[in-house]
Amino acid sequence: MTTQRPALPQHPEEQERVILGTLVVVLFLLFWEGLERGWWADLLRPLLGDSADRWAIKPIFISSPTRVATAAYRMFFVTGEIWPDLKASATEYALALLLAIVVGTPLGLAVGWYRRLSYALAPLLTGLNATPQIALLPIILVWFGTGLASKVLIVFLLAVLPIAISAQSGVRTVDPRLIRLASSFSAGAWRRFGTVVVPSTVPYLLAGVRLAVGRGMIGIVIGEIYGSAAGVGAMINQAGSRFQTDKVFVGILAIVIAGAILAEIVRQVERRVEIWRPPV
Amino acid sequence: MVALSDVEPQTWPVPQSAAARRLDRGYERFIIGGTALVAMLLIWELSARTGLVDPLLISSPTAVARAGYTLFADGDMRNDLELSATEFLIGYGLAAAIGIPLGIATGRYRRLSYLLGPFIDTLNAVPRLTLLPLIVIWFGIGIWSKVVVVFLGAVIPIAISAHSGVKTNEARYLNVARSFGASEFKILSSIILPGTVPFIFTGLKYGSGRALLGVVAGELYAATGGVGFMIGNAGNNLRTDVLFFGVLLFTVTGLTSVAVLDWFERRFEIWRPKLGSAA
Repeated sequence: MTTQRPALPQHPEEQERVILGTLVVVLFLLFWEGLERGWWADLLRPLLGDSADRWAIKPIFISSPTRVATAAYRMFFVTGEIWPDLKASATEYALALLLAIVVGTPLGLAVGWYRRLSYALAPLLTGLNATPQIALLPIILVWFGTGLASKVLIVFLLAVLPIAISAQSGVRTVDPRLIRLASSFSAGAWRRFGTVVVPSTVPYLLAGVRLAVGRGMIGIVIGEIYGSAAGVGAMINQAGSRFQTDKVFVGILAIVIAGAILAEIVRQVERRVEIWRPPV
Repeated sequence: MVALSDVEPQTWPVPQSAAARRLDRGYERFIIGGTALVAMLLIWELSARTGLVDPLLISSPTAVARAGYTLFADGDMRNDLELSATEFLIGYGLAAAIGIPLGIATGRYRRLSYLLGPFIDTLNAVPRLTLLPLIVIWFGIGIWSKVVVVFLGAVIPIAISAHSGVKTNEARYLNVARSFGASEFKILSSIILPGTVPFIFTGLKYGSGRALLGVVAGELYAATGGVGFMIGNAGNNLRTDVLFFGVLLFTVTGLTSVAVLDWFERRFEIWRPKLGSAA
């Protein structure tokens, strides 16, 4: 929640960061490519003899940047085989996240506002939060099968808790002076809740959503890898069991990009909402 | 203060003293929480007994307890528990041993953070569990693939926490130390490390959850044993009682590890003077 503007790019430290960062990524990609093509093995053979072969690794194990790029191009633009998977995953994810926000927000607000309700739900919420919810995947599959519903449920389970917990702590940290002020001016409970509590909870809610976005990604990937016929996770799983390592990497890449886009969206929204708030 | 909060006695009852109030709330919390828990278990048990929901699908608390008892009595559980615990401990231990120094180093040395930043940020952005199929190709379905998954899950939050802990160190302290000619080692051990401890514990706590997740997901995906494997198997055979018992084991482990880390955190925090916004 920093309100600082990003450093100007012409700043020398920033330049150094970009240069060093790019350099090391390029070196890493070169190293990877070389492992697959046997560059390093050829280079080291005069030194190490036959044991240099260890520096050449079969493409089914590590693939290579060029192979991954080719596979990505083919899957996205030539055969287009990845689009249905992306669509399936996106549908599941969006439904579940929406559900988590719709359920988690009022739940968290209520638990934060009504102390007794929080006592009543504490055992359930604490327990569920401490459990790796992925462990419930087999039972969810038993209940809902391998279709859309089971993935929506697992992503929902993973995403709803961070939202509810953040909303709860948001309500807890509302400045009590503001509430007292509101009640001094005889605002009723609903009025206090609507005009004081909810607005000051928004940053917490967004922080919760940011967490939920990441947790949901875990849910969608594992849910699809474990039991699904469609979706990027399922594609990764099938490619992995056929040793099509390049396709696995394309799937991972798609998830990385999707994750980055989602995180950026949340960040933009957070900035919008935060703009009116004086820095503390 | 007291006078003001008297304005709304229906929302915040104000007992005589803070101690009495804490005691009151403690009882209230315990009674309400306990009642709710018992009620949930009763509803679960009754809906299974009366056939409202097929017991095959939801099992029941008594069936889960019985399954747990049988598993422990027959010793079937032993190997799975040992295997999962080993994976967890090795992976998490490695993550702490590598993640903490790594985070401190990237926090302290700017250029190092520029070099490693792209990798750490990328790994942080992906659910590392996506790498499971690759890790299984590389390390097989034995214990090591799970150790790697657990390690990858836990090391990133641990390193990032330690990194931001170093970043929030008081610049003034560093300047004082440097003015008095403190060596790099001295600066690290007497300023940076103590200042970073709370962050390290936050990272460790977060990491323990991720590590547990790694054990479950790794074992569900490809394993020959372990509690996660047992859960997956139970799901395939519709043994919902065994399944729920396995999930319960993970819940207990998760609660325990957080409690242990909380306790350690408090021990390490005891010397620290209370500051206004220390939380």
